[in-house]
Amino acid sequence: MKHLALFIAGLFVVGVASAQTQFGGGQISGSLETNSIYYVNDSKIGESPEDRFGSNNYLKLDYSNGRFSAGVQTNAFLPVLQGYEDLASGHKFYLSSKYVQWQDENFELYVGDIFDQLGNGLVFRSFEDRQLGLNNSLEGIRGVYNFGNYVSLKGMYGRPRLYTDYADSWVRAADLSVSLADIIGMESALLSLEGSYVNRYQSLSLDPMMDFSQVGLTSPNMDMYSGRVNFGWNGLSLRGEYVSKGKDLAAAAQQAERGSAILGEVGYNYGNFTFMGTYRQLDNMATRLSLYDAGVGNTLNYLPALTRQYTYMLANLNPYQVNTEGEMGGQVDLCYSLRNEDDRYRYWNFHVNYSLFYTLRKSQSVTGNHERLWQDFNFDIERQWAKKLKTIFLYSFQEWNPTHGYKHRTYVSNVFVGDVTYKFDRKKSLRVEAQYLWSHEYERDWVAGLAEFSFAPHWSVFFSDMYNNGTTKKNYYSGGFSYTQNRTRVQLSYGRNRAGYICSGGVCRFSPAYTGLNLVLTSSF
Amino acid sequence: MKKLFCLFGLLMVAMVASAQQLPDVKVENAQGKIVPVKSIAKGKPMIISYWSIACKPCIQELNAINDALEEWREEADFEVVAVSVDDARLKASAKAIATSRGWEFVCLYDDKQTLKRAMNVSLTPQSFVVDANGKIVFSHSGYTPGSEQLLFDQILKLKK
Repeated sequence: MKHLALFIAGLFVVGVASAQTQFGGGQISGSLETNSIYYVNDSKIGESPEDRFGSNNYLKLDYSNGRFSAGVQTNAFLPVLQGYEDLASGHKFYLSSKYVQWQDENFELYVGDIFDQLGNGLVFRSFEDRQLGLNNSLEGIRGVYNFGNYVSLKGMYGRPRLYTDYADSWVRAADLSVSLADIIGMESALLSLEGSYVNRYQSLSLDPMMDFSQVGLTSPNMDMYSGRVNFGWNGLSLRGEYVSKGKDLAAAAQQAERGSAILGEVGYNYGNFTFMGTYRQLDNMATRLSLYDAGVGNTLNYLPALTRQYTYMLANLNPYQVNTEGEMGGQVDLCYSLRNEDDRYRYWNFHVNYSLFYTLRKSQSVTGNHERLWQDFNFDIERQWAKKLKTIFLYSFQEWNPTHGYKHRTYVSNVFVGDVTYKFDRKKSLRVEAQYLWSHEYERDWVAGLAEFSFAPHWSVFFSDMYNNGTTKKNYYSGGFSYTQNRTRVQLSYGRNRAGYICSGGVCRFSPAYTGLNLVLTSSF
Repeated sequence: MKKLFCLFGLLMVAMVASAQQLPDVKVENAQGKIVPVKSIAKGKPMIISYWSIACKPCIQELNAINDALEEWREEADFEVVAVSVDDARLKASAKAIATSRGWEFVCLYDDKQTLKRAMNVSLTPQSFVVDANGKIVFSHSGYTPGSEQLLFDQILKLKK
């Protein structure tokens, strides 16, 4: 309670400060987010947590004055919402990031908690994801030097944040980017060569119970190298990255292994037609911040699933999870828009997406073959009939492997979605979704629906339900409203929620499974 | 009850709004080049709209702005900047959507989310109206069909 009082007091100080835009010649800006849930008992999904109330709060403040800027972020978990890793102890109030920065056109010096990414993130990415309780920023120093548009050089050094604490490791990284197109004067083209080096140092003798030499790890240093090329000209774009990684021990691995990664991307655009294709190969690329810990937040690099991310409930039920031990595959997107030149309110948008992933090595499966991890063929057709009416139809064929390739068995589901938006007038509108998942496997069939009435620009009321018509017969219902006043938005809802992305009332959020009353407030100033 | 009271207090505090300047950070443009955000402002007011591929209302908002853009530009000279916050996972798909939809916008790709953090964007969609001097004069979170008109109303106010 003491921490809550302090947090509130801090907020009032901020409130006063934010009313004074100019502060010592500079300006203050910031944001506030609070997500609070009152959990109720629900026998269908299990008991509610011991502490019925959870509240995650984030306050970020920035000050800038010319070339100088500084900022802090405080987090208050009062106590933490259920499902957040490493925060099961409950209440926590702490300074999660701070920084001071000075920069001009060609030079930047940054001291504090660094959020950054090298290349495509395969070797390094530090970021914050509040929905997942993830913050792996690097507490240290970063310097950047740009020689015009020709050369950019970056170096950083620090210790990574591991949830609410810090890992017992040190990370140093360097990045070089050379723009050949600018050097040879090709203004209309993009041609650049880039490279990165990342080193993680962690003593192997911090825990006498762990003998890393037995699993083949003898050096406290782990190095990663990345080489990249980017090309773009007249609607065509090509990107490539190769990563080599030194011996490292993944969380679930029995033996330390070397790693590598390949990423290739090709894109082409002509008028309203676009093609994008991405191929990626990962070989033992999971890289932890600390060899002594596990968890989603204990990650130095970024290896996301290269698959379509849906905004519809049933299409997101069984998302692909990357096999960092070894996978190969990719995805293609084809988009085309057919537009009426005389009437901007009448058009067709077509989108086709296909993603496919296999295990990298035959030894990853008991079958001795490359096993299919994931396949998704999907398309959607969006039709704006007139100013008042829009419809979307989506179909998705998904095949997923529940053992991540260890066995041959896969599950198949077919998802059908109809989405209709009707505008009664300039302010009032109704959106309705109808969804069906047809499957002979796993939990079998699902049906879902959503209705959302909006009264722009402030109010939105919604109700949704998702019912398993197969093996579990469970339904996940949700209803609520939201109110928006400029930069401040409040949403109050009640329901039984499955983990996944829920989009309603104008905002998309990742929500963990729970039953209860949820109040979400966000604001920036 | 005390906790609810405190949350109400937070709401009151959050209602206090003030203006700020466009931050001095760099971001990738549609050609893949890293450019200062301030170079996007060319002496015209701007609507800056944050979106991502997994944010349905964001794409609804951008489509609605694009639909109305021809009519709006008959009344005011301004730019629309669509900032994708999709990371490495969805950046390619975001580019595919942005280039095929006929959006008459300046498209930026903030995959490192540097600009998003600098402008204190917690959730998408979030839209800003920036005057010709780079000063943020209005911001709006979320999207409901019809709320795009708020943004244009602010652009018209800047004409006066």
